[in-house]
Amino acid sequence: MGLRVYIITRILLTIPTLLLLLTMVFLIMRVLPGDPVDLHFERKGTPEQIAQMRQILGLDKPLWNQYVDYLWGVVDIGYLLRHGYPNLGKSMQVTSQDVGGQIFSVFPATLELAIYSMIIASVVGILLGTVSSKSYNSLLDHLIRGFGTVTYAIPVFFLGIIFQLIFGVYLHWLPTGLRINPNVEPPAHVTGLYTIDSILEGNMVKLVESLKALLLPSLTLGIILSGIFIRLTRTNMLETLRLDFVTAARARGLKESTVTYDYALRNAFLPILTMMGLQFAMLLGGAILTETTFTWPGLGSYIVGRINYRDYTAIQGAVVMFGLFVTLVSLVVDILYAYFDPRIRL
Amino acid sequence: MEKIELSIAVLVLIGIIVSSGTMYYTTTVMSNLSTLTSDTATLTENVLNLTSTVRDLATITGTLAEAMGEFTETLADLEARLAAIEASLAAKAKETLIVGTTDAVENTLDPAQAYDYFGWSIMQQISSTLVSVKPGSISGTDFQPELAVSWNASTDGKIWDFTLRQNIRLPSGIELNATHVKDSFDRSIALIPYIPDGAPANLYYDQIINRTEVLSKYKVRFYLNNAYGPMLGIMSCRASAIVDPTYAPWMVQVNYTAGDARASTPLAFVGPYYLSKWERVGDKDIEIRLDKNPYYWNATSGYPKTKTIIFRFYRDASTLRLAVEAGDIDMAFRHISALDVLSLQTNPNVKVWLGPGAPIFFMCFQENHAPFNDSRVRRALAAAINRAAVVATLFPGLANATYSIIPPGMLAHGDAFKELGDANLTLTRSLLAQLGYTSTNKLKFDLWYESSGHYQLSAEQAALYKAQFEASGVMEVTLQPADWPSYRKNRNNGIMDVFVYGWYPDYFDPDDYAFLYWASWLNLHYDVWNPTVYAQQVALYDQARYTTNATLRVQLYNQIEDIAADQCSIVPLFVTKLWAVTKPKVSGLVLDITQDMRYWLIYIAD
Repeated sequence: MGLRVYIITRILLTIPTLLLLLTMVFLIMRVLPGDPVDLHFERKGTPEQIAQMRQILGLDKPLWNQYVDYLWGVVDIGYLLRHGYPNLGKSMQVTSQDVGGQIFSVFPATLELAIYSMIIASVVGILLGTVSSKSYNSLLDHLIRGFGTVTYAIPVFFLGIIFQLIFGVYLHWLPTGLRINPNVEPPAHVTGLYTIDSILEGNMVKLVESLKALLLPSLTLGIILSGIFIRLTRTNMLETLRLDFVTAARARGLKESTVTYDYALRNAFLPILTMMGLQFAMLLGGAILTETTFTWPGLGSYIVGRINYRDYTAIQGAVVMFGLFVTLVSLVVDILYAYFDPRIRL
Repeated sequence: MEKIELSIAVLVLIGIIVSSGTMYYTTTVMSNLSTLTSDTATLTENVLNLTSTVRDLATITGTLAEAMGEFTETLADLEARLAAIEASLAAKAKETLIVGTTDAVENTLDPAQAYDYFGWSIMQQISSTLVSVKPGSISGTDFQPELAVSWNASTDGKIWDFTLRQNIRLPSGIELNATHVKDSFDRSIALIPYIPDGAPANLYYDQIINRTEVLSKYKVRFYLNNAYGPMLGIMSCRASAIVDPTYAPWMVQVNYTAGDARASTPLAFVGPYYLSKWERVGDKDIEIRLDKNPYYWNATSGYPKTKTIIFRFYRDASTLRLAVEAGDIDMAFRHISALDVLSLQTNPNVKVWLGPGAPIFFMCFQENHAPFNDSRVRRALAAAINRAAVVATLFPGLANATYSIIPPGMLAHGDAFKELGDANLTLTRSLLAQLGYTSTNKLKFDLWYESSGHYQLSAEQAALYKAQFEASGVMEVTLQPADWPSYRKNRNNGIMDVFVYGWYPDYFDPDDYAFLYWASWLNLHYDVWNPTVYAQQVALYDQARYTTNATLRVQLYNQIEDIAADQCSIVPLFVTKLWAVTKPKVSGLVLDITQDMRYWLIYIAD
């Protein structure tokens, strides 16, 4: 099976996964006890208002009809092209805004935080893991292992608050929250990622300020996630360094750095790549706490707010969005895996 | 012959040896010469190479020096740029006040709908009312001209005339006139049936105001159904803000419009600021920006003092505190927690501002749950409470115990509940004993508290109340937490035995407090179980409401409070102060009983 066939097969397999996810989310929201409309009005709504909200939300239709409408809304390309986001239903707020619009307006903030956090986690984790394996059983190895264990065990909000206190309150180097200095107008929306949009706008002030705002939250998440990468890299490297091809490489007189980084690390990288995909999903969960700690206006903060207001349709939309994202990341990781490891395609 | 031959042979041999030696020597010399030549050539080449290398090195050094120079220049340029950024931000910072808050606009900035503190606060900055309360007022009834320069009421109190200030311009250039005022009130009243939760509905505008009439370009008349004591209080609240007809279509509720701040509110931009940006996702504000309004009628007096106000929204009190301590924001206003305020008072990097309070907290009893339909039980619980201990433990210097539902400083504030005492456990035991509750047969009930931060330190308060009740030895209390949406739902469904609730004033008059004893939205069923006293209290309330005689009003409210202390439908607990935390250079905050934050008075000193 060639790479192309593998990718196509993998993409096709994503469809039933998503369908299952959408169905489960839809059913779970419907079998929860209590009528969301009644809960919304807290017995104070007039029958007309309640009926109107049921109609807006489509809850006046039979369940199968709601399901079909819901699925159709998600895959409605025409709607997607018209609005720039999929139809995930209406929010249960008085203003009845589109949930898709709300989610897509906050999602770039979470994505930006996730990307930078993953970069920090990967770089710190893989480098320290490699160094640790090379210094097996030495003091440095013990220190790095200790660091990995502590960072993995430490709660994200705790490390976040410590960073805020040190770098924000005591040193006044970095802001303690929000995406950009309030005195600076955010860059014009192109991707929604402030750093990228600042570069596209060619505005250094905005780039510097958005990077400053991004540093503490992404460092917090990145360092916490790096723990697992340290341990995984170390274990895999230790195993790989004992293999024959490494001995052969050394016997050929290759430099140790070449043996370590070009030969051993490349072979030990595949399980790390898989873990990166899984951690991306974890990272989105961690983002809820990080965003709350750093007042980061992303999907995590959005979900917390929606839960507080029992906005069922918005929560449903956000869960679907998380699911979509994790599915896409898994797809990308699998394709990369196949690219790096030809055995997968056999 | 032999000798000759021998001699020749010897000579030949010698010749051979000499020749060989000579040849060998010659060859060696030649070889050495060749090596020498080769070495010389190598040397020459090496010398040449060395020269070239030295030249290259010089070139490299030059390039490196050049690169270093360029790098230093770039670095200097970068530093200069960063310095310029810092300088421009610093310059901008003086013209801009960054305010951090955990509040958010609940739904809308439409005076026909909005009924929340923060929404009203924004409305106060961008629009105006006919009258307002003087900054620094102690009683909340010192009214001053705003859009109206004068006013007068008829002797029966049923007709009020307001004369408008002239030359107040809307941004469209149109002059504000009496028709604008009439249309604003007529619109709000007409929308009441469609917005039962809106401020005009809750403040009974439709029952108070019979009709409005334009007497002249600058004069508007209000015909009331009855004389109404707090008329000026109502006129000064944000539900009475004037709207711009261009953005306030008749019978249309105006709501947030993404990307269009002007279309997001129907208010007439005649206040010190105008709404230049409002970014919101769901019900959570991301950013609100107010810019100086060039059309503000009082601009010639130097207001607003700060050109721009930017509101940034924080998730909770702790992140807000960190932001103000880190200097990310100039000012934190609502809600830094009481305990944080106490510790911030000793921090030299921030300034804590304190003002008198009007928010009141009280304990409620669900009378549909026996035995709370018996006033003796309610009185027993009221007597067991030790307000002073709660205030001293949780709000030292930031709250005052109250024995009246009308806050201190306000007309008719009294101390009717003092007759029950504080921690008066003798009375508690005696009253409960009448109903058979003893140390072996304890009164058992659930005490509910709000657990999501809507009220400050509510879990700690609940723990104290539980300890105070159980100190009597005849009660057993189970604490029940609920987040704010559940708490409200439980309140509406009447499922909480005992719970604590808070009230924030709409206008500063006992009229806005005394009704709490039987407020229908508390859903306590007081009217069902105590119809006679309920009717008596409502009659007194209406009598106080529909008179402008202050002395009579005080007497009437005192009578209501006496009945309330006897019935204990709800029990007043304490009134919290108002506080804000700013950078030391921020000045001009006026915190008074109105609880208003007048941002146009605030400035950042040099």
